[in-house]
Parts: sequence; C-alpha cells; structure tokens
Amino acid sequence: MTDALDKTEEIVKKAKGLGADEALAKTTFGRYRQVRFSNNQVDVTLAWNDYVTDVALAWKKRVVMTQIHNFEDVEGAVKRLMDLSKISQENPTFGGFVKGKFKYAECKADEKLREPGSLTDYVFEAIGAAEKEAGSRIESGGILFTKFEDVYLASSEGPLGVDSRSAIELSIRVFSEREASGHAVECSSALKNFKPERAGGKAGEIARLARGPKVGEEGVYDVVLDPLIMGSFLATWASMASAFYVMVRMSVFAEKIGQRVAPEIVTLKDHAAQYSLANRVFDDEGAPVRENVIIDHGILKTYLHNNSTAKLFKTETTGNAGLVVPTPWNVEMEPGDAEVEELFEGLKHGLYLTNTWYTRFQNYAKGDFSTIPRDGIFLVDKGEIKESWKDIRISDNILSMLSNVAAISKERQHVHWWGEAEPPSLAPYVLIKNVHVTKSR
Amino acid sequence: MVMEDLADYALKYAMDKGVEYAEVRAQKQVKETLILRSGILEAYSWSVDSGFCTRVIAKGGLGFASTNKGTKEEAREIVDLAIKYAKASERRDKLVFAKEKSIEAKWSVGQKKKLEDVSPEEKIEKFSEINKALASCGINIAANMLSCDVDLISKYYVNSEGSKISSFIPRIGAYSFITVVEEGKTEQAYQQFGYSGGWEALEEWKMEERILHDAKVLKEVILKGKAVKPGTMDLVCGPSVAGIAAHESCGHPMEADRILGREMSQAGRSFIYEGGPYWIGTRIGSEAVTIVDDPTIENSYGYYAYDDEGVRARRRYLYKEGIINEFLHNRESAAKLGTRSNGSSRSANYDREAIVRMANTFVLPGDYSEDELIEDVKYGVLMKSFTEWNIDDKRFNQRYVGREAYLIENGELKHPLAKPVIETTTEKFWKAVDAVSKNLEFEAATCGKGDPAQGIPVFTGGPSIRLRGVYIK
Repeated sequence: MTDALDKTEEIVKKAKGLGADEALAKTTFGRYRQVRFSNNQVDVTLAWNDYVTDVALAWKKRVVMTQIHNFEDVEGAVKRLMDLSKISQENPTFGGFVKGKFKYAECKADEKLREPGSLTDYVFEAIGAAEKEAGSRIESGGILFTKFEDVYLASSEGPLGVDSRSAIELSIRVFSEREASGHAVECSSALKNFKPERAGGKAGEIARLARGPKVGEEGVYDVVLDPLIMGSFLATWASMASAFYVMVRMSVFAEKIGQRVAPEIVTLKDHAAQYSLANRVFDDEGAPVRENVIIDHGILKTYLHNNSTAKLFKTETTGNAGLVVPTPWNVEMEPGDAEVEELFEGLKHGLYLTNTWYTRFQNYAKGDFSTIPRDGIFLVDKGEIKESWKDIRISDNILSMLSNVAAISKERQHVHWWGEAEPPSLAPYVLIKNVHVTKSR
Repeated sequence: MVMEDLADYALKYAMDKGVEYAEVRAQKQVKETLILRSGILEAYSWSVDSGFCTRVIAKGGLGFASTNKGTKEEAREIVDLAIKYAKASERRDKLVFAKEKSIEAKWSVGQKKKLEDVSPEEKIEKFSEINKALASCGINIAANMLSCDVDLISKYYVNSEGSKISSFIPRIGAYSFITVVEEGKTEQAYQQFGYSGGWEALEEWKMEERILHDAKVLKEVILKGKAVKPGTMDLVCGPSVAGIAAHESCGHPMEADRILGREMSQAGRSFIYEGGPYWIGTRIGSEAVTIVDDPTIENSYGYYAYDDEGVRARRRYLYKEGIINEFLHNRESAAKLGTRSNGSSRSANYDREAIVRMANTFVLPGDYSEDELIEDVKYGVLMKSFTEWNIDDKRFNQRYVGREAYLIENGELKHPLAKPVIETTTEKFWKAVDAVSKNLEFEAATCGKGDPAQGIPVFTGGPSIRLRGVYIK
C-alpha cells in the first residue's frame, strides 16, 4: 500500500523535476465483479482488474493529462506529458489544483468486498424473493456488481492521501407478464447492510400489481414518485448544479444562486457519505469531500466546484473535482414529514410511477424534456390502485417539476441503476403536482 | 505493442484447463482528447490503454475477466477467475456458441493523412478556428463546447477454435454543443461527427459550415418559429430524423440478445419475441421501407471487417420491403435461435464483454429527389433535424422533436416551425412511409448499451423519407 503511494508521489516529483508548475497523480487499483442474469439464470460472470494512474500537470496554465497503467513506463509517460504541455494552449481559467495539507476522514471500506466470494447466491436470493411475491412463472433479469478500489493520491500542491472504496449493488427487473414488470435495487457500501431479497421482493410486488396493464391516458396528473424514479430526477437536478454545466448552459440553475427554485420543503445535498456506493474521502484534486447543501429549503445555495471553477465563481472548492467537470457524488433529498401511505391517500385520480428511462432534453437551459416511465405505472385514487398502465411519457419541464414538489416522505432509500439513476442518491417518495403525461398517437 | 504473446499464453493456459471454449482479446488504444469551452482549451489528454480479456465456456456457463497488468501471473489469475465464474453459473440451459469457421486474418483501415502525424498544435488550431468562426458569425452564441477524440486501436484476437485476427483501426470523432441567445430566449443544438480513417475526416465533415448552419437555424427558430397546429398531416423526415428512427425503432429491437431477454433489466427487451405478434416474416412497415445495418461501409464510424468474436462482417437486411427479416446476432444468440452469427458482436474495449451491437443502420435509398418528396405534400411538416428524442425499452413508442423544421403548404416550404413533435409507434411510423429519396447522408452517433455502459461508434442518417397522415403536435 505504501509502495503504491510512494510510486504515485514519485510521478508527481518527476513531473515537477521536469518543470511542471503543478502536478497531480491518482492511482486506482480496482477490483470489479459482476453477475449478469436474465430469464432467471446467470448469463455471464465478469471480473475486471484495473491498475491505473491518472496524471495531470500544468505548465504556464496549460493543462494536460494522461494515464499510466501498472506504473509501466513512468519516465516516458511523464516526459511525453511535459512535452505535450509545451505545445498545448493556455487555459486562462485554470485556477490551479487545490492547495493544502488535508486531514481526511477515516475510510471504512468493507474488506469483505475485496474478494467477495460467491456472488450468484445473492442473485438467487433476490429471484427467490421475487417468486414469493409474483409466483414461480416470473422472468427476472439484472446485475449484481461489486467494487473494491484502493486509491492513492499525491499532489505537488499538498494533498496526499489514501482511500479505499467499496460497494455492492443489485438491480433486478421482474416480469410477471410480458408487459407487467417491476424494477428494484439494493445498494450498499458494505456487505452487512446488503439485503438482495429486499430488492427481489419489491420488484416482485410491483410486477404482481402491474399485471394486465392498459395503455394510459394523456393529461395532467398529480404523481407519487417511488425512490427509484426519484433517483433519476435527483441525479438530473444535482448534475445541473455542476459549475461546468452552468457555464456551458447545460443547466436550468444558471444565474439563480440565492433564488427560490423549489418550495420550502425541498432541501437537496451532495454528500459522499459512508453508506453510499460513491463513498470517498477526497475528490480528484485531493480536496476533502464534504456535505454540500445545493438547495436549502427551496433556495439555490451553491454550485458544485473544483478548485478552478470555484475561483471563477469567487468561492471555494466544494470537493467535487472532476478536473474539468465538477460532479455530484451522492445526492440526498432531506426527508419530509409524510408517511408513504399519506402521499397515496392524497392522490385523486393520480399516478404512482416506479421507474423511468431515456430522459432527454430539448433545451437544458430551459429544462424542457421528456422521459419514459417503465415498470409499474399505476392509476391511484384515494390511496387505492385502480389500474395498471403502460405506454406513457412524462413531457414536462425539469424546473417546473422541482417547483411543484408538494410532499416528501419520511422514508428514504439508497438507489442507483445504470446511467438512469446516476450518480446514486438517497431518495424519498415524493408527490409532485401537475405533471404532464403524453402518449403515442 | 498489443500484448500478443501474453494473449497466446493465456489462451493456451485456458485450453490446458480443459474448458469447452476460450478466447483472448488483447487491445491497445492510443487516445487523444481535447475539449474547448467557448474557445478555451480546458485540457488536452493523451494516453495509451493496453490490456486483454479472456472469455471461457466451462460447464455450460460463461465467464469473462480482464486486466491491464501485462504479466503471466496476472494472465493466469484472470483465466482462473473466468473459469471459476463460468463454472459457478449453474445454468439450466448450457451455453454453446453457434459454429463458425476459424479465421486467420489481418485487416486495417488506411489513412490519407495519418492521425498520428498531425501534431497536437494542428489539432488545437483546427478546432480553435471553428470556435473563431462561431464567435464572429454575427449570431449570439452564448456558449459552445467543441471536443475531439482520436483513437488508434490495435487488436489481437485468438480463440480455441484456431482463429487468429489482428487489426488496426484509426478513428476520429468530434462533438459540438452550442447555445444561441436572441431576445432573451435560448435554443441549443448538438452535433456529432465520426470517421474511421485519418485527419482527412475534417475535410469531409465540413464542421464549421454545419455548426454555423445550426446557429442560423436556432436564431430563425427563436425569431420566426411558430407552433404547428396539431393534427394529422404528412411528414417529411430529413436524413437525420430518418436515421435516428432507423437506429431506435429498427436496429435496437432487432438485436437478438434483447429479443432473447439478455438485456431485460437495463437496456430492455423488444416488441419482437417468440410467440408474440411480431416475428420474422411479419409486416412492420410499408414496401418502401428497407433498413439495413452494414459494418462494411468504408470509413464509416461503425466500420469493421471482423467482429469481436472473429466473425466476418456483412450487410444485414433488418426490415426488408417492410417485413421483419433478419436479427442482429452474435454467436451466443445465434446458437439459441438455431442460426449463424452475422458478425454483430462488438465491445468498447478489452475490459468489456462483446455483445450484440449495430454498426451503421439506415434506410436504403429509393427513387425520389428530396424536392419530389415535398412537392407532393399539400399540408405537412419537413423535419430536417431533431432535438429531444426517446423510445421505450421495448422499442415501440417513440418521440422525435424537430430542431430545424418547416411548414409545407401545397408543395412549398413556408415558415420555420418551433419544436414540432411526432410521438407514435414503430408500426405506425414505418407503415406510413410512402416514398424514400435517392440521396444518402450519414451522421455519426455513439450507441449506448450494456452494463457497464459501452458506447459504440455507429453511423445513423440515410435518405429522406415521407410519411403520410401521421399526427403532429
């Protein structure tokens, strides 16, 4: 471990020795394992071993980057990078890598996930739980994924640190009929909190309730969003808080710091917390990660920054580097005071949506978009599911939806799946008023 | 160098373990990326990524493992892991691959001007020039992003059936994203460019001209665009819109792994399935509609000569004269459906499993000029390009929102339209096509699929097509 940190530091020293003004190296030894399954059986089990050092240096504000694998040809790679900096172009907005000696929080990765043993058992536990809910004739598919990363970071500007990052997640989709499905996830940074049967059971329950779907009707509905679909919306809102996306106008939050963007009940944070799949103690510049309140009781408080974007916006880094694009790690929506049942009881001819995919924008600056609910889509009246629906689309505005949040549950779930709910989040059930629904004609 | 010796070593090690099937794919990728934000070079990156993977069938299960550490010890470790995982699968239905003949081949893509001979300065200069043209065009482009990716990809593939294939493919891609602000209103446009070959791509792309055209269109939409009166009317789709529709509602649902359910959790299934209303031989479009997927188009973004399972690439007729004709297959899906692979197995890198993918998917051209398509429309819409789009995971309900669009009245183009929308089903869309133009204009795209996600270069685009009597809003 020390050896890897030494070698990482050595890269920084070599770059400085060759004349770099600033240099940064981050080595990741990654062990990734995955089981992919469909039709209730395992299709393939995969393993990736990755040995990579990301290197960045700046010379006269010319920022260049490379990757070194397994510490091979360090001399050549650093020299080549230095040469590249001399023929590159100045970035006047480069504010330097973050400076300082930091004391990082203790990393608490789960060593059991370094070599996690038999993964297929977890898959069959989830399938079994789904069968209990929806019967033995279900078809289920999904992935089980584990991660263990040893991370070593050294910077000429002071940061020096070691981190270990562990994660395990299960994503399962269950079909009780050809067009009746439920999707649920189980996400954790440690094995002890990981309960695959919880996801299997929930996916099975939704799939059972979704039987016999009819094509939905266009209109404007009050909608209760399950934590899984809320994960997609939270990811969108938080990503739009990245200062880079604000600068390139891929955000509805430009020039809105200090303004109300949501009702009082909405507080959104970014927090690479220990429980999260995205747990970490420092960002890609070596700044300590921290809890950042993006929206505080409806008021937009901050964008997410690396050191350079922070200087442009005359503030401090928020610990969200990305060297070019600051990124949220793990989005948290503060819980409300409602029981989940109360949200449903308040629905009159409303919808309960459990999942979505394919969110696409007409215009990021304005926020006009559509997304396609999938899996369980339910027409609800006074707390009772009246019908199962299919084939509808939310065609709305992402800022309007944020403004129309009407109630938030106490209960929250840690969710993540594929690119649809990425980055991970801690999401409650949420009631949003006046959501526009369209369908094919 | 590609790790050829290690790949051979790993293959022999796997075969000595008595597996039913083994393959090793080594890949070296020299990659350069530059990102300009409103003319500022954010960063320039250059790296070499080199590693290899093995895939084995043992006890009827499939295992995959990869590494970028080039040692024999590591090679043994990943082979052992792949075998262990394959055996742990405990499948009811034992996996086999469709039989294919073994191939020994070397192939490469030529370059008129080698990407590796173009200095970083020249690359930066070229994209800076485009930025300068945008800055001085007289339109208020409030923000823009330009990026360029260069990949020099060497591969070495060997399997236990005797195949041995080496390849080299240089590839260049670029992106633009612009925001135009006029009268306090914004509109945005994104374009992608792609080419297999050398720096000559830049001449073919005409990036500056095309992005400036986007800027003018966005300004026109802001200043003159009117909403369409919703109703049933004719729709002429330009190559861009016809291309995305072919990709989303023909290419994806015809992927056999999706049809068999292997992607059921993430990328989804297909409206085509055994025992369902749609299968090979079912009509899904009009006779005017023939859609192919063809990896053999020279210099296309999706070009390859052999796929990542060592199967020779060829053109696939997906929808033929409106009839569902041939699925996209790799060796696993082909065996399950009792057929042969048609060379559709692709992976994004050595650390990704090869799965069923498209290459270049498009409607085959017809006999009409684009003017003739419009001349015969009494009232309708010309949708030349699109902005927001999406489709459900069974690939049946889709939506395309026009970016550059015009009203057509009595065969003539009238004013620009602001965001006309077609939201319809795959069957209604393709059955409404009555005419196809004879021109063919490709566009580059990155197709997403797989978990972890594997972005794969493809061409979309095609000819223009005319749809009769569809609902536009």
